[in-house]
Amino acid sequence: MQTKILLDEDQMPKAWYNILADLPTPLDPPLHPGTGKPLVPEDLAQIFPMELIMQEMSPKRMIDIPSEVQDVLRLWRPSPLYRAHRLEKQLKTPAHIYYKYEGVSPPGSHKPNTAVPQAYYNMKAGIERIATETGAGQWGSALAFATQLFGLECTVYMVRASYTQKPYRKSMMQVWGAECIPSPSTRTKSGSAVLQKDPETPGSLGIAISEAVEDAATHSNTNYSLGSVLNHVCLHQTVTGLESKEQLATVDEYPDVVIGCLGGGSNFAGISFPFAGDKLKGTHRDTDIIAVEPASCPKLTKGVYTYDYGDVAGLTPLLKMFTLGHDFIPPSIHAGGLRYHGASPIDSKLIHDGIMRAVSYHQSEVFDAAQTFARTEGIIIAPETSHAAKAAIDEALKCKKSGEAKTILFNCSGHGHFDMSAFDAYYAKQLVDYEYPEKLIRESLARLPKIPGA
Amino acid sequence: MYLIGFLVNPIAGMGGTVGLKGTDGQVEEARARGAMPKAAERAVETLVLLAGQPVRYLACSGTMGEEILKKAGIKDYEVVFCPDQGTTSADDSIAVCRVFVQRRVDLVLFCGGDGTARDIYSVLGDAIPMLGIPAGVKMFSAVFAVTPVAAAQIIRSGCTSGGRFFLRDAEVVDVDEEAYREGELRSRLFGIAKSPYVQGLSQGTKQVFESHDEERAKSDIGRFISEVMEGTPEVLYLLGPGSTTAAIAERLGLKKTLLGFDAVKGVKLVDSDLNEKAMLALIKKNMPARLVISIIGAQGSLLGRGTQQVSPEVLRMIGIENIIVIATPQKLAETPVVFVDTGDAVLDRDFGDHIPVVSGYRIARRVRIGREDIPCPNEC
Repeated sequence: MQTKILLDEDQMPKAWYNILADLPTPLDPPLHPGTGKPLVPEDLAQIFPMELIMQEMSPKRMIDIPSEVQDVLRLWRPSPLYRAHRLEKQLKTPAHIYYKYEGVSPPGSHKPNTAVPQAYYNMKAGIERIATETGAGQWGSALAFATQLFGLECTVYMVRASYTQKPYRKSMMQVWGAECIPSPSTRTKSGSAVLQKDPETPGSLGIAISEAVEDAATHSNTNYSLGSVLNHVCLHQTVTGLESKEQLATVDEYPDVVIGCLGGGSNFAGISFPFAGDKLKGTHRDTDIIAVEPASCPKLTKGVYTYDYGDVAGLTPLLKMFTLGHDFIPPSIHAGGLRYHGASPIDSKLIHDGIMRAVSYHQSEVFDAAQTFARTEGIIIAPETSHAAKAAIDEALKCKKSGEAKTILFNCSGHGHFDMSAFDAYYAKQLVDYEYPEKLIRESLARLPKIPGA
Repeated sequence: MYLIGFLVNPIAGMGGTVGLKGTDGQVEEARARGAMPKAAERAVETLVLLAGQPVRYLACSGTMGEEILKKAGIKDYEVVFCPDQGTTSADDSIAVCRVFVQRRVDLVLFCGGDGTARDIYSVLGDAIPMLGIPAGVKMFSAVFAVTPVAAAQIIRSGCTSGGRFFLRDAEVVDVDEEAYREGELRSRLFGIAKSPYVQGLSQGTKQVFESHDEERAKSDIGRFISEVMEGTPEVLYLLGPGSTTAAIAERLGLKKTLLGFDAVKGVKLVDSDLNEKAMLALIKKNMPARLVISIIGAQGSLLGRGTQQVSPEVLRMIGIENIIVIATPQKLAETPVVFVDTGDAVLDRDFGDHIPVVSGYRIARRVRIGREDIPCPNEC
């Protein structure tokens, strides 16, 4: 009874899988926020290195992973794939549950899979500093880890409420040499404007993005880096899906169901794109690919598929995606990484086109799942990851009813060791289940003037 | 140094233990049934925990104050009023509260029940905050600490944070004792006091991003619902009592009655302080209609507390799906379960097991509806 399926270091993927090459119809292009016209590479050159811009738009199916990047990824990759024997037994399901564990990376999540190549390409382009934003700190700590390996400085704008209330990821950033600033700050015009209007604001991810983008745009030695949403970020994450496919093949399995949680959409993209590619190519037409989102921030299940900004100030390009509106500030669930109004354009398109689907859960049922997982498989997973675990458990329970022995794969994207206060709240019965008041929000928007082109 | 007006209703709670459901005008009957005064004991429980705090008390002589302060070992106090011993009454409470107001106390700490709260509020209004040590038969008002120990903790936390209490709006509810004794709970919202509270959550489990400031939360809710109302000018809105609904009207630039139901359509005030009959007539003429109500009191009552105008007939005409419930996170932190008591058990059940409650700008929570009988909050 094999529990852990491991690959040798030399079996780590040498190239990323670019699903853009296999889309039946092209992605709607990102639009310039000023002109409303499709972006050209030069538009992005102010804040991104050219290699990443080319990856963002590349038609090539496989893109080589530079050997310097592979060297770093080998610190924890290939990551283990586990068969969840104990969870299956607990659920009394005939399903085979597998999970790809990304919590073994130094920062404890899937985020360094893209932080490392992003830092590398910026270093190669002669950039000295990277500015970014972070919510609860997963991304900020991953980029801090990656930049110091390549000798870059790193400035992280961290949402103020998290900065004061979730201090340990900030401490990690410090250990890895990054500067972590509570956002909004007086360091930027956009931050100062927010502070002037509301000195007590707790901040938001959308505001922090505006600050980091402005920082990069106004300093020639500085670039911006985003931890999710964009095509190149999804691309870098495909190492998880590619490895999983290899690992499953060694035990003669191919997943019937592939699951990931979705905030901006990169960890979900990572686990699912290699399998979605097979679906598009027709080699495995029936794979059920499920994105899991919080009921409090349900862009995929209740949002609109349209062009929208990625940030509050409207500095980013307009992306065609599922969105709840760029001015929507999601409620304070503990899965901070899933609190984003939009979603990756590729994920959005695939869901819109029916290649993948989405489900949503309330946070208390998600923590129930996290507890079940911890008490069977042992790992205390992050609140974000717990969304995926919840969906996997539900799919396995469906199998129990139908008697089908489906193979279920989910991305176990990170551990929850810095989220213990969330578990405290769960046991104190203080978790709040938020609803998205969809009808009321639509009505409230009816009074707004329509902006042409937006 | 804080100045606290301290007041005990020595007969509070006596009716409860002997099945009188309230002690107003029933003291002799309660004594005859063998009831023992317990308010003093509960007040002492709070006071002993406040020994050594930088507090100076103003109080009545005798059983309404001084005796209890002495029993708790408190020395720094001043007697400012002498009631007739033996026959303390609501008039005495009112008289000493007038002195508290003149002396500009920072807080009135009292021990009693809803009746005591009502008497004190009638003098203080929302000018001076009040905090209740629970000792009454009924405590449907939101000015009470959960226990005598909690009352002490609230005051101590105010002392340690430099005398700054977090204040919130707290409904003072007036229950008709005659009717209550007959088995019918008839109550109305008497007023909205200011009351200190301690955020219920410890540092580690605090919710991220949510404001700890209730005023801000109210203004967020007001902004959201006012935008909904502006987007649906064809709908008649009935705005219920309370300061959270008042925030909506304020946002729309409308003058709202604090304790009544007002009608708004097309961002214009149609009528104020409606009774049931007026409401029915207005709804009949102006379908579709929506009801906007907040959760009232310390026990999470959704309907049936201070909202008798909204009869089952009114609710059926509006439709449960057209009820918008609003409440600040601060209020919801204390009422994880809400109770629906429309006066019609069938209608109550139609509300289901959960209800969405708008708690911020474009934010709602899923709140469980309690199915038990409306509980009495403390051990009464």
